[in-house]
Amino acid sequence: MKSKTSSFLLKVPSAAWVILLMMIVCTVFSDKYLTLGNIVNIIQQNAVLLIVALGATLVLLSEGIDLSLGSVLTLSGVNCVIVMLYLSKLGASNGLAMILGVLAGLLTGALMGALTGGLIAIGKLPPFIASLGTMGIGAALALVFTDSSAIYIDNPVYVFFGQKLDRFIHLSLLQYFSMPTFIAIVIFAIVWVILYHTSFGRYIIAIGGNEAGARLSGINTVYWKWMIYVLAGVLAAIGGIVLAARLQAADSSVGVGMEFDAIAAAILGGTSFVKGKGGIAGTILGVLVIGITRNGLNVVGIPSLWRPAITGSIIILAIVFEVVYSQWRERSK
Amino acid sequence: MDGSILISARNISKSFPGVRALDKVNLELRVGETHILLGENGAGKSTLIKILSGAYAPDEGEVYIDGQKVTDFNPGVAQRMGVSTIYQEFNLIPYMDVAQNIFIGRFPKKHGLIDHKKMHADAAEILNSLNMKVDTRSLIVDLGVAQQQMVEVAKALSIKSKMLIMDEPTSSLSERETEQLFATIHKLNSQGIGIIYISHRLQELQEVGDRVTVLRDGQFIACKAVNEVTVDDLVSMMVGHSVDEMFRRDYQPRGAEFLRVENLNGGKRLQNISINLHSGEIVGLSGLVGSGRTELARAIFGVDKYESGKIWLFGKEISDHSASIMVEKGVSLIPEDRKNQGLALILPVAENIVVASLGHLFPKFFVSKNKENEIAMKYVTELRIATPSTTRLTQYLSGGSQQKVVLAKWLCTKAKIFIFDEPTRGIDVGAKAEIHGFMNELVKEGAAVLMISSELPEIIGMSDRVYVMRSGKIVTELPHTEATQERIIEFAMGADEIKKNRKQAEMAKESSK
Repeated sequence: MKSKTSSFLLKVPSAAWVILLMMIVCTVFSDKYLTLGNIVNIIQQNAVLLIVALGATLVLLSEGIDLSLGSVLTLSGVNCVIVMLYLSKLGASNGLAMILGVLAGLLTGALMGALTGGLIAIGKLPPFIASLGTMGIGAALALVFTDSSAIYIDNPVYVFFGQKLDRFIHLSLLQYFSMPTFIAIVIFAIVWVILYHTSFGRYIIAIGGNEAGARLSGINTVYWKWMIYVLAGVLAAIGGIVLAARLQAADSSVGVGMEFDAIAAAILGGTSFVKGKGGIAGTILGVLVIGITRNGLNVVGIPSLWRPAITGSIIILAIVFEVVYSQWRERSK
Repeated sequence: MDGSILISARNISKSFPGVRALDKVNLELRVGETHILLGENGAGKSTLIKILSGAYAPDEGEVYIDGQKVTDFNPGVAQRMGVSTIYQEFNLIPYMDVAQNIFIGRFPKKHGLIDHKKMHADAAEILNSLNMKVDTRSLIVDLGVAQQQMVEVAKALSIKSKMLIMDEPTSSLSERETEQLFATIHKLNSQGIGIIYISHRLQELQEVGDRVTVLRDGQFIACKAVNEVTVDDLVSMMVGHSVDEMFRRDYQPRGAEFLRVENLNGGKRLQNISINLHSGEIVGLSGLVGSGRTELARAIFGVDKYESGKIWLFGKEISDHSASIMVEKGVSLIPEDRKNQGLALILPVAENIVVASLGHLFPKFFVSKNKENEIAMKYVTELRIATPSTTRLTQYLSGGSQQKVVLAKWLCTKAKIFIFDEPTRGIDVGAKAEIHGFMNELVKEGAAVLMISSELPEIIGMSDRVYVMRSGKIVTELPHTEATQERIIEFAMGADEIKKNRKQAEMAKESSK
């Protein structure tokens, strides 16, 4: 018979252990680390990554991969801002310009997702190849539209999406919350409902778990697979729109490498490349591992040129740990 | 024994979980003979050749090669001792050229580098000796099946094999290619090479075989010289007379026509197929593995495309054809490979049961877990699925229970037509009888069942009518009163044609007198 503690420990995801370890190490090295301000900072900075990582998780659950999410994020932010500025120039109100700009951004994400997903589901291209191609297309379009620089935006209604809540409502508690965090929580809830409480969610997992079987069950696997990428594209677009609001600018290369962080976060959170194993709850932890590592290196004062190498190493170690840990967990069931 | 025995297997037994695949089987191969291994699906032929080629170790019994007892047998050792096996799936590397494939792993070398000149010259020499005209530099992907097979033979000759095991070598060859293969076999025999030849086709026996060994249900039945036995003898040797299983069928008059297929064509496996299926009947689809049964089921179900033909469902011709449409109309397919095609093993029982009916169970897109579990529970009780709860992962269920989950999935869609592909393969006796019981209930309630099975007792015991397929064609339709194991085997293996040809030849002889 197993003791209660050990069966509780078994349920703790591996990413949680990594987070704990990182936090202890960073606290030892810097007294500025474990402060409320810093923790709030971490959460706020990684809200966008969480939104993108949710999309990446859904794609991985269906046994696919989408490398284009980073450039879809960039392009959507760019299109959103461009449309907004254009409408303002034509004399539209800030509110109307914001709504149409955001719609343009979302549409960009949906179209890019439809392209990637169409190539994969209908064109039967391997997901890696198809999304590598659309990644290039998205990145290039963003550079062309912005003339490879940043476009600044000061539409106050839009910029609100990137700010702390206490700027508008003077409640001291709200200083700990920002719009990106709030939006990420709402999006997480929506994706949760989609994945676990709708037939679409079932189809995602069924396709990942056994595509041939899903097809023989009469599920229109081509259509639903396509839709998975459209959804991931829309999520990346939301990330891009929120990020541009926070930065008050649409930057032509802001999303570079974001797809890898998103995929790494999903895998760190226990989602596997095969058989539809995993889920989005773990993705939050995966995002935190990445966020805490980045922030920790910054606070502790590691020279910035070295940081990507160290982040990369920690991600690799964390994934190795996740694999070993989950095998150990399987065995001790 | 004298030196003319190349390989001899004595008292070989081999068991797999739940099956005794081979039970004290004997086989010997003489220098220069072609020895046919004959038996129904599942008689143990494949297991036996896997043992002879070192892929499996026997549980009991010994293998002697050149009079020497073999220990520590594995495919590498087998090859070194001169045994080469040509499986139906060739072991060739598609994007390498012919010469490299022949000499792979044993490239002739000069100064440590591959000696291409010698390799191609040697390869050409071997291919010439087989009368095969092909450039040794062509890639395997560019060759036809028959040529690829010859490359396999050349590979075996290049390692100086003395014994060749060929698993259904003619299954994908045309008639002319088959003749060429037989010529090659005779030539190899004349050089002293022994060949173990596995085939389902009785016609081929007389042409290539010297002796024939018959297996049935893992038992050695007989070893005879080919010219001493008749086709009838062989058929009766292959068929077991014991039908000890009990089948419960309540035969009833059939109802309306649910499914009609006319002149369906699709590749070699589907040639001019016409069948029909009525409410209230179980129709058996018999035939050897590879005769096109599964392909027919998949084509009807809309998963595989076909070239031409018409299908009527419930009296209406269907134009648009895909699996999702067929499911919507009430057709279901319970595939043979339930683990890979019927179920998502890592998902709970409940999710597997509702997955095909999410659309009409939850038309508003949102899935209610409570309702889902309630529905699943209903089927778990009804079908007596052995699972502690509906949230249990399907992979932890027994084979029989897994099959019931697949059945539940289709009952949940309110399907009217059930296509079962090997419904009871790998299922224990108790669960088997239960599945048969459910099939009987289904048709009593007005459903229609098309059942593909390799088990003749199951076909005979359960069907109202039986279609027999051979090489992509429906060769006969038998009512259950006329369906006997012998008749089905005769049609499935082509014995009817041999007899017909012989009769015609006799008549021709008489009329010429």
